[in-house]
Amino acid sequence: MTCAQRVGIAEIRIAGAPERLVSYGLGSCLGVMLYAPELRCGGLAHTLLPEPGQKGAGNRPGKFVRTAIPALIAGLEQFGAERRQLVAKLCGGAHMFQNLNGRMTIGERNIRVARMLLEELRIPLLAEDVGGCQGRTCEFRLEDGKVLVRLARGRDKLREL
Amino acid sequence: MDFQQLDSRQQDTLRELSNIGMGHAATSLSQLVGRTIMLHVPRVMTVDLSEVPDLLGGPERLVAGVILKLEGAAGGNMLLVLPRASAEQLLQILLGSTVGLDDELGVSTLKEIGNILASSYLNALGGMLGMTLYPSVPQLAYDMAGAVIDHVLGELGESGDLALVLETEFSGDEVDADPIRGHFFLLPDPRTLELVLAAVGGSR
Repeated sequence: MTCAQRVGIAEIRIAGAPERLVSYGLGSCLGVMLYAPELRCGGLAHTLLPEPGQKGAGNRPGKFVRTAIPALIAGLEQFGAERRQLVAKLCGGAHMFQNLNGRMTIGERNIRVARMLLEELRIPLLAEDVGGCQGRTCEFRLEDGKVLVRLARGRDKLREL
Repeated sequence: MDFQQLDSRQQDTLRELSNIGMGHAATSLSQLVGRTIMLHVPRVMTVDLSEVPDLLGGPERLVAGVILKLEGAAGGNMLLVLPRASAEQLLQILLGSTVGLDDELGVSTLKEIGNILASSYLNALGGMLGMTLYPSVPQLAYDMAGAVIDHVLGELGESGDLALVLETEFSGDEVDADPIRGHFFLLPDPRTLELVLAAVGGSR
């Protein structure tokens, strides 16, 4: 059993089996995971916001969903993966507080941009555990591409994607 | 203004403002629960957004977090973070029964505690700065610390990669029992920092 590598806010990590990548305490943040099944390698981005503003993403592509997905693809291509092999899973994008202003929450916007971009890039979205009002920890096992989702409370505390 | 450019004199100014504000807040809490509440020395930190969850005791830690927006002449967020045991203890003292965090009454009581702390803090701060400051309606989440703070980090992340965190830890003074513990955080937005420093003559 290898030690899990932590992927903090705005970070991207790429690794291969038997490593595990973990993002702890995702609220409105969205964990975007891409996996290359044949090579058994994958990447996790802990994204904070849907897309960069006027300033651009700077040197942190992992901060935004819009820039994180291309960066994940580029990272996996360096690992030897081909884009057409890649599959995706999503975790997070919750809204932890009551939405008072009626606009879309950051979490909802994160999810929407991720789904749209994956569709444009023709990367199949195999599974997701998103939205709602609960925090999540996601653990991405590169051994088999499975994702373990942990919740802090509630009945169904452990899920597998 | 960039958060990173704060010099040590400006940090001292912020620490002192926070100390006075939190002193008033602790007095209010003390009166409410009928126990002495002690303050620790406040910390003023400029950190990367990704480090903030660790300041709350780690991203996966289960906490009750009350969030209030800073309104009036300034903007930002305030956060009261209570470990589960302390939140339940406060409810026990105030409501005298076994009302929990899943209870509507428990939730609104904790929100009200957040409101009282934030109002006293901002009253003192506003008085010193000659500004009108008040908190928004409080919101509560009982979940992983990382998830609770995500929303605030999202807002800060729109304008930069750093957060300025004014943190004060407080605790009850009971020696025999488990004391009540909590953390109070103020995360001003960049424009607010400029206003505050200008008001105390701390800007360059």
